[in-house]
Amino acid sequence: MKPLTKFVQDAAQTAQESETVSTAYDSLWTGGNVPTQAPSALEQIMLAQDKLYVVLAVVLIIWFGIIFLTMRTDRHISKLERSVEDHIPDHSDDL
Amino acid sequence: MINWIIGSWAVLEKDLRLEMRSRYALNMLLMFVLSSLLLMALAIGQNPISEHMQIALLWVVIMFSAAIGLGRSFVAEEERGTVLLLQLNVPGTQVFAGKLVFNFLLLLAVDGLSLTVFSLLLNMQIFNLPLLITALVLGSLGVAGATTLLAAIIARATNRGPLLPVLLFPMLIPLLLSVVFASRQALAGGFGWIGAQTELVTMGAFAGVVITAAFLLFEYVWTD
Amino acid sequence: MMSHASVNLKKYHLIRNLVFGWVTIVLLAGFLLDIPKINILEHTARNLYFHVPMWFTMMAAAFVSGYHSFKVLQTGDPVRDIRALQAARIGTFFGILGLLTGIIWSKFTWYIGTDVWWNFDPRQIMVTFQLLIYGAYFVLRSTFDDPMKRARISAAYNLFAMSAIPFLLYVIPRQMESLHPGAEGNPAFSEITHPIMRMVFYPAIIGFIGLFWVLYTQRVRVALMKYRITQDSEL
Repeated sequence: MKPLTKFVQDAAQTAQESETVSTAYDSLWTGGNVPTQAPSALEQIMLAQDKLYVVLAVVLIIWFGIIFLTMRTDRHISKLERSVEDHIPDHSDDL
Repeated sequence: MINWIIGSWAVLEKDLRLEMRSRYALNMLLMFVLSSLLLMALAIGQNPISEHMQIALLWVVIMFSAAIGLGRSFVAEEERGTVLLLQLNVPGTQVFAGKLVFNFLLLLAVDGLSLTVFSLLLNMQIFNLPLLITALVLGSLGVAGATTLLAAIIARATNRGPLLPVLLFPMLIPLLLSVVFASRQALAGGFGWIGAQTELVTMGAFAGVVITAAFLLFEYVWTD
Repeated sequence: MMSHASVNLKKYHLIRNLVFGWVTIVLLAGFLLDIPKINILEHTARNLYFHVPMWFTMMAAAFVSGYHSFKVLQTGDPVRDIRALQAARIGTFFGILGLLTGIIWSKFTWYIGTDVWWNFDPRQIMVTFQLLIYGAYFVLRSTFDDPMKRARISAAYNLFAMSAIPFLLYVIPRQMESLHPGAEGNPAFSEITHPIMRMVFYPAIIGFIGLFWVLYTQRVRVALMKYRITQDSEL
């Protein structure tokens, strides 16, 4: 069984390597052959402090997403409250 | 059991006969396949493309053809007003089975045409034709299974648009990955049956699971 | 009155406050506790606490949504349909967050100086797959006018599409190299999850799934209210 799986893995590898289309993305991590330029300004900021700011960016994305979601729910509630007051039924199903 | 087969066969036969009379769906589908293939071949031009790309494009055409050509299987019933007739006479699973086989046959026709024309247009070097055909057939089985149930689903919807591709393509992503890999083994630089082995099994399993799920869910979609 | 047809407020408030406190502690621990020194990752290993739970949360949402879809087919209860839809919405939300945070993390950690934003990673594809299914689910719902039909047919699609997920789990890792742990070239998960990191990681998963539950239940409350109002519109 082992030689077989190794066979398939080699097959997959040579199959990928023989592409004429760019394979940059999937051989990248294994020390690949993508030419890199010097880090841009934004990247240099992110690299500072042992890449702590990358973690900050991740947490901020999550946090702002939650803010956005909560505000949207609030707007739905306001719309409902208004329709209850005015007896105007709100038929859209977009909630 | 026999009754079930007879019932399913009856549904299939009805659809086949209607189709053979006018050949409306078949002709349109085959013309669509032909034009898409030509479009792609012209866009590619003389530039050589890798084996993987050839297979990828072939399968993209097949999937689009399935989405466009097989969607009418249930809509046609609605338009002709025969839905109630079917519902009263034939149990749900038999309707589904009949339609499934019909769609599968249509898809095989699409496969045959696509493979022939594309291999000629692109000078595909096929080292292992039986493998390629097996991959196409197994893949088509999965596609037909998913498409038939989804066709039933969209027939119930009131405003349709390009709804079938939207519903279908996400579901076919796992199949597409397997089938492109397996088909590619039949071309230059591939490893034939051994290389495609695991993927073929996966494709068979996919077809099995999708068709089973479709059978289970069909009643809920079909009956009001 | 079936329990799922309305939301138990006491339970909701209790869990909500618990989740808020829990996630706050996770955030603090995530930044303040020490982590082992790992090549290339450095501080971004802390993303383990924030990015990875997005994935688990989306899976939990998919499970909840699928369960309620199943119940819709079984009982035809419109409240189940409301729950299935809201779980799908919040699941989509967390899925998008997972994708975004993953992209930012990978771009500035492994792909610095390159143009690579999307690396065709198996887990990335799986999240995209689930998002596409939910997108299709929402679009499908919009094509129906009759609520009963809409509930039933979209529930059938939800379950049908989810049957394809195991194959993604099975097929992709074999074909694609991956940034994710355990794949070629990356230290395996167990190496990264040093005991001290596990101490924050597991609670983080629980916390974010709890957060999903809070957001989901909140929206269910609003949806239930809207359902009741538009049903008997003379109020």
